[in-house]
Amino acid sequence: MNDWLFVAPLLILGLGSILMMLVDAFAKEKSELAILSSITMGVAGMISASALLSGAEAADAPEMVTRFLAVDPAALFFDVVICFGGALSALLAGGYLREHGLERGEFYVLLTLTTLGAVVLGRSTDMLSLFVGLETMSLGVYAMVAFRRGSSTAIEGAVKYFLLGSFAAAILLFGSALMYAATGSTSFTGIAAAMGDADPKLVLIGLLLIIAGFGFKVSAVPFHMWTPDAYEGAITPATAFMSVAVKSAAFAVFVRILFVTFGDELSMSLASGWPPVLAGLAALTMVYGNIAAVGQENVKRMLAYSSIAHAGYILVGIVAAFRVGSEAVSAVLFYLLAYTFSNILAFGSLILLGSRGREAVSFNDLRGVGRRHPMAALPFILGTLSLMGFPPTAGFLAKYYVFSAAVQAGGSMILLAILGMLTSAIGAFYYLRVTVFMFMRDPEPGQVKAIPMKSGYVVGALAISSLFVLGLGVMPGDVLEAASRAASLLLG
Amino acid sequence: MEIGLGAYLGLAMVLFGIGASGFLMRRNALIQLMSIEVMLNAVNIVFVAVNRFHPADHVGQIFSFFVIAIAAAEAAVGLALVIALFRIKKTVESDNADTLRH
Repeated sequence: MNDWLFVAPLLILGLGSILMMLVDAFAKEKSELAILSSITMGVAGMISASALLSGAEAADAPEMVTRFLAVDPAALFFDVVICFGGALSALLAGGYLREHGLERGEFYVLLTLTTLGAVVLGRSTDMLSLFVGLETMSLGVYAMVAFRRGSSTAIEGAVKYFLLGSFAAAILLFGSALMYAATGSTSFTGIAAAMGDADPKLVLIGLLLIIAGFGFKVSAVPFHMWTPDAYEGAITPATAFMSVAVKSAAFAVFVRILFVTFGDELSMSLASGWPPVLAGLAALTMVYGNIAAVGQENVKRMLAYSSIAHAGYILVGIVAAFRVGSEAVSAVLFYLLAYTFSNILAFGSLILLGSRGREAVSFNDLRGVGRRHPMAALPFILGTLSLMGFPPTAGFLAKYYVFSAAVQAGGSMILLAILGMLTSAIGAFYYLRVTVFMFMRDPEPGQVKAIPMKSGYVVGALAISSLFVLGLGVMPGDVLEAASRAASLLLG
Repeated sequence: MEIGLGAYLGLAMVLFGIGASGFLMRRNALIQLMSIEVMLNAVNIVFVAVNRFHPADHVGQIFSFFVIAIAAAEAAVGLALVIALFRIKKTVESDNADTLRH
């Protein structure tokens, strides 16, 4: 296999975004950029997907690449999740930005470069590439949140996200510096190899700081304060991107660092390791995310809390993996893929239901819109059914695999699984509440009625996502197989 | 007298603590930005100092260059956001950014 192929997705994303800057300088029609960026990310994802499904061996990757970037099936799987999330968000942006008169080319360039950062982050095998990828991704996302620069909610969300995000990055970085002090290495495997004679106190502090840093990035409670504000303030396509690609990339490197670097017996023990800490975070996140979502009046804010809750379910899968091993990790991989498509459906439909000057963001905006425009409301219902975990959607299987892995792990993990199922029931309440507003409530007298926008881009993104949500729910075979192969090779 | 690694780590931890408490206690976005810079410099001290005690390669020193460069990029984005906030709110106190609340 040619050496270039190992980094082909990264090269395509990087060169594609440079090309887009050139096109932006000369093109009059900015929505061409939506197609261009979507194709760039789609192709990058496709390359990884075909390498993953064909089962190509990456054993002969040059050391120059593997020193900093993983080329194993898990890395390819996360590439696919991140790139598809990015490509679909670009399509959503293509419809949204034009409709709301925000058409500026830099959004697509930012989106593609942010995706590049996310892919680097998801693949990183060294603290250095982790930090560079993390910051490439985060700086782009801060700018995307602040994209509507005259709006006080956007700037406020962006400033809060920026301050807390940089604080979290500094904490994460100090954790990795302490790991370097303890072991004399910055690569994940190098740290693991030197763990034996490292100072356990330094390792423990480093581990806790790294977990806290990632807790911010995946918005686990109690590190979630920025999430609702940034999600509400950002333009909806950027919110969709943050909730899928950014979260997947953070989880990707989190899983890798936990099982490659902190996979030794002491760090994985119940007494002095990460499983009890993460289990506590997972329980808090599931309970708080779901309960706080109930009282929301803004659908975007509700979806923000729902994404916090989903981070909790994913954490359950990660904790379960310390006993069950690769099966639980493959459940986490599948969950992230299913979650990506479901969330794109929910946000995409929310975009579709608004038009210029009357963006649909609150529950009241959606009154009766399902009865007037059932086709535009349908994707939202499918997406929320999947987020709820209703068969035969992808979300059902994803939840099933994660919770059954937790049950298999036994002990107090069963309690976590039960807590997860109970809180999912709360989730059903607030997801269905949207449907109730759409179909069973009449608009208040004098209220401006929501009218769906017309956009081929948004409809295309919704069609692709629906296909995947139903397809993964009915025939998960190949994807599941790829996920379990990726997981077993990741755990070694 | 030889100064050991412990002294450097102690200094870095104190500096990191100062930065973190500054970030958490001050409400001026610019001061918070400066606090983050202090925290990143604490990280640099660890990397450069540890590199002296693990001289097999220069990973630590190279890492600190990356941190410096990225801190500059972060400051650029951060200051841009603070300016945008100031234009709208006429203040850089992050307590006054309270439109989004529940």
